[in-house]
Amino acid sequence: MSGNHSSSVISARVRHVEALLEQRGLLEGGEIDRRIDEFAAGGTPANGARVVARAWIDPGFAERLLTDANAALPELGLSMSGGLQEQRLKVVANSAEEHNVVVCTLCSCYPIALLGPSPGWYKSEAYRSRVVRDPRGVLAEFGVELPAATRISVWDASAESRYMVLPRRPEGTGSLSEEELAGLVTRKGLIGTALV
Amino acid sequence: MSRINDVGGMAGFPPIAEEPDEPRFHADWEAHVFALNSALIRRGIYNLDEFRDAQERLPVQEYLAASYYERWFAAITTLLREKGIATAEELAGTDEHAH
Amino acid sequence: MSTRTDRFAPGDRVRTRSLDPDGHTRLPRYARGAVGVVVEPAGVHPLADDRARGRTGNPQTVYHVRFPAAELFGAGDHSVTVELWEDYLTPVEEDP
Repeated sequence: MSGNHSSSVISARVRHVEALLEQRGLLEGGEIDRRIDEFAAGGTPANGARVVARAWIDPGFAERLLTDANAALPELGLSMSGGLQEQRLKVVANSAEEHNVVVCTLCSCYPIALLGPSPGWYKSEAYRSRVVRDPRGVLAEFGVELPAATRISVWDASAESRYMVLPRRPEGTGSLSEEELAGLVTRKGLIGTALV
Repeated sequence: MSRINDVGGMAGFPPIAEEPDEPRFHADWEAHVFALNSALIRRGIYNLDEFRDAQERLPVQEYLAASYYERWFAAITTLLREKGIATAEELAGTDEHAH
Repeated sequence: MSTRTDRFAPGDRVRTRSLDPDGHTRLPRYARGAVGVVVEPAGVHPLADDRARGRTGNPQTVYHVRFPAAELFGAGDHSVTVELWEDYLTPVEEDP
């Protein structure tokens, strides 16, 4: 990572370019700050956790989610339209037979409008290079050991769709509320590098 | 002409490193770069594919040495220059009117 | 108003383009020249290769195509599903 000195250098360069673009009428005053605030108020992993919890308790919702996630998200007041344009969301469900894991090998595509920015490791060459070739090895590094009989499906977000994993509901959670269930779901679970 | 961004299946990268309690941005300027790119695409100065292309065209050694948002900023300034919005000197603040 | 002409249907076998284009593309290197199976069409979009070159690009169908790892890497028991524009794909004729 950049140290403090190089960070202050690039910080000054960014401010300079912003000022230049404002002078030329290509940015409105305060536009950058407004966009930063909008982004901060946008997607978050908690949205994905709410979707997963609802799918666990409502099989009808789960079916609609897996068939057409963009049409199902508004049932929870959510959408994929917070970014530059509405993007298609494809939700892929884990089962006893299949485990899904998501990557973007060419850049860093991710359902930002729903889940906020992706973690740094998701953007790293280390993850992007290896998970398509050796997903079982990568998952083991994340502490996920799957039975040998479980098929692994990797999804490379190489074009316009964005992906989210629907993890399996953990055993022994029958008495939990929807909100408590959502509290079990992690960002890694939504990418597929954790079981939940 | 395979490019440095196209890493699926490649060997030789370091182990995957997770950062506990990772913030949305590591510095204020990263958030500014994110918002700046969004503003320029919405304004039609360039499109998202041109932005990806501009990152992929960075010299390989520069690309690998740069952080994620440093690549973004390099791509933004490349496109502003190529689209005739500003010269390299103006973007770097080294022209005579700067500061 | 796209003139959608899905050339492929779920279950169709397709081969990806093997050539290495000069410039931006969204066909990953590891998935070139490989045979996979169409999972589903996933919308209609202008080809990214065109848009990256400042061209509008004709909208065409994008497909999820699933490849066995062994087809891509010569080893592995997993699958990789890649989202690919129609231009990247040619049909694979079934054996008679």
